[in-house]
Amino acid sequence: MLYVAIKKTFPHFQLDAHFTIQNGIVGILGASGCGKSLTLQSIAGLQQPDEGIIQLHDRLFFHSDKRIHVPARHRNVGYMFQHYALFPHLTVYENIAFGLKKWPKKKVQHTVLNMIENIGLKGYEHHYPHQLSGGQQQRVALARTLVTKPSILLLDEPFSALDHHTKQVMEQQFFSYLQQHFSGIVLFVTHHLEEAYRLCDELILYDRGRVIQQGKKECVFHEPDNVQAAKIVGCKNIFPCTVDDRGKQLVCSVNGASLIVPAHKKKNKATHMGIHSHHIRFVDEATCNAFSFQIIRAVPNVYTYDVTLQTDHFTLQASVSEEQWKHIHNKKVYLPPEHLFLLFE
Amino acid sequence: MQAINLFPLFLSLKVATIATICALVVGLPISYYLSRSNNKIGDILDSLFTLPIVLPPTVLGYYLLVLLGRSSPLGRFLEETFGIFIVFTPTGAVVAAFVVALPFFVKTARAAFASIDEQLLNAARVLGRSEWDIFFAVVIPLFWRSIASATTLVFARALGDFGTTLMVAGSIPNETMTMPIAIYDALLAGDKKMANILVLIMTVVSIALLYTMKRLEKRMIRGENDAVRRH
Repeated sequence: MLYVAIKKTFPHFQLDAHFTIQNGIVGILGASGCGKSLTLQSIAGLQQPDEGIIQLHDRLFFHSDKRIHVPARHRNVGYMFQHYALFPHLTVYENIAFGLKKWPKKKVQHTVLNMIENIGLKGYEHHYPHQLSGGQQQRVALARTLVTKPSILLLDEPFSALDHHTKQVMEQQFFSYLQQHFSGIVLFVTHHLEEAYRLCDELILYDRGRVIQQGKKECVFHEPDNVQAAKIVGCKNIFPCTVDDRGKQLVCSVNGASLIVPAHKKKNKATHMGIHSHHIRFVDEATCNAFSFQIIRAVPNVYTYDVTLQTDHFTLQASVSEEQWKHIHNKKVYLPPEHLFLLFE
Repeated sequence: MQAINLFPLFLSLKVATIATICALVVGLPISYYLSRSNNKIGDILDSLFTLPIVLPPTVLGYYLLVLLGRSSPLGRFLEETFGIFIVFTPTGAVVAAFVVALPFFVKTARAAFASIDEQLLNAARVLGRSEWDIFFAVVIPLFWRSIASATTLVFARALGDFGTTLMVAGSIPNETMTMPIAIYDALLAGDKKMANILVLIMTVVSIALLYTMKRLEKRMIRGENDAVRRH
């Protein structure tokens, strides 16, 4: 279990993070500069919060009232830096052995060579980091951390330094390797939506130094709580609305248009509603939640079109498949009630 | 013409070597500290360590005399406790060369240390290393080339010091007379031939030293590459 409740104030920024993690791979998702990395650094002991508590299992890392601040070197935290931070003057072997200074020599040699074989870099023991590809460097960085048997693993944008093609391959390898060799909590910072969705079990959304939502990734993505969370998970259609509770269903009025939302989606103090662009459908018949529209702009993507639609009441962003695109004319745009969600400010 | 007395040359080399070692030992931690700190104390220390570059050597020598002379508390303390005399001794020449040359080390090394990637230090920290350990295992190996060139600079400056050394150590033949002072002395005495020879020796020695340093540096770089190429 990891418990974090910390505050740190800067001249133009305030971190006020509070969350608990039981287990598994947890992603921290948010725009750059929202305090994600700062949180990781605080957990690792590289930054000291102004006040608060950081506790891993039964071990207090930081407690401002009890004046506890365990230095980074005694926390036994695994940290993978954004650009790996491999020591350029040390070989692959020396890099991986760097955290094992206090071990007997024989044991170090055995462990490190074993590790190098594990990550598929046998024969590269005496190479320097600059002689390795991005993917290889990443594996060395992971090995360097895992070899010290850390009690938690912190990953700061582990894939951002890789090019798109390598990234896809590496992601799968990386996490299947991780699942085989590490059983503790993995805290994974990213600003990349799909990456977070593919790799994490649970998500924590950050906005301007605060945690705004935490939960299972499916919940967080499909049913964000509030406007900021919806923006972070990539929702492009967010409208201010007023909600009228009619018992079986909710009727939301958006700029004069009435939209039906299932009753179980009711939220207190809901001020907005939203729908993901890929959930928007097109239908022939006129039903509830269907509107006639004009196409304002269509930007072709690799497999889809990003279409901007104008109805009489609001503007929509829709992600339309090529098949749908061919038959879009004379249809109505349909917002499926099951995919609509209510948001508070 | 009298036989050439090589004492000044050996004294100069000895003084410069000791002063350089002292500058290395003292300068490394100071320049590292200065590169890390961005508070007021750091700024004050930084200007203090730059002062010897700006001040005329005579002013510097005067300060040293005041600070370390027999009438000063520090001078008396050194004399009574350790039996160390600074003024008009070879030790004084070392002190003078050290003070004059140290800023060159601090300036060069500080600039190098300031360019270190903070994440490397952080990586070493989370891997369980102490700050002291990180300095020797990461910082110095990463910057040894800058440290080497800073050391060369210091040695060259220490070898060539005239004004401050003259003020502090004087020009006692066969005792505190270093090469630059011997040259001045020969010129004053009207012994142009002697002055020429000494100047020539000084030039040759300096060039030889700098060249050796350069070669050494190159060989070490090549050694690094060899280590890389072995596999």
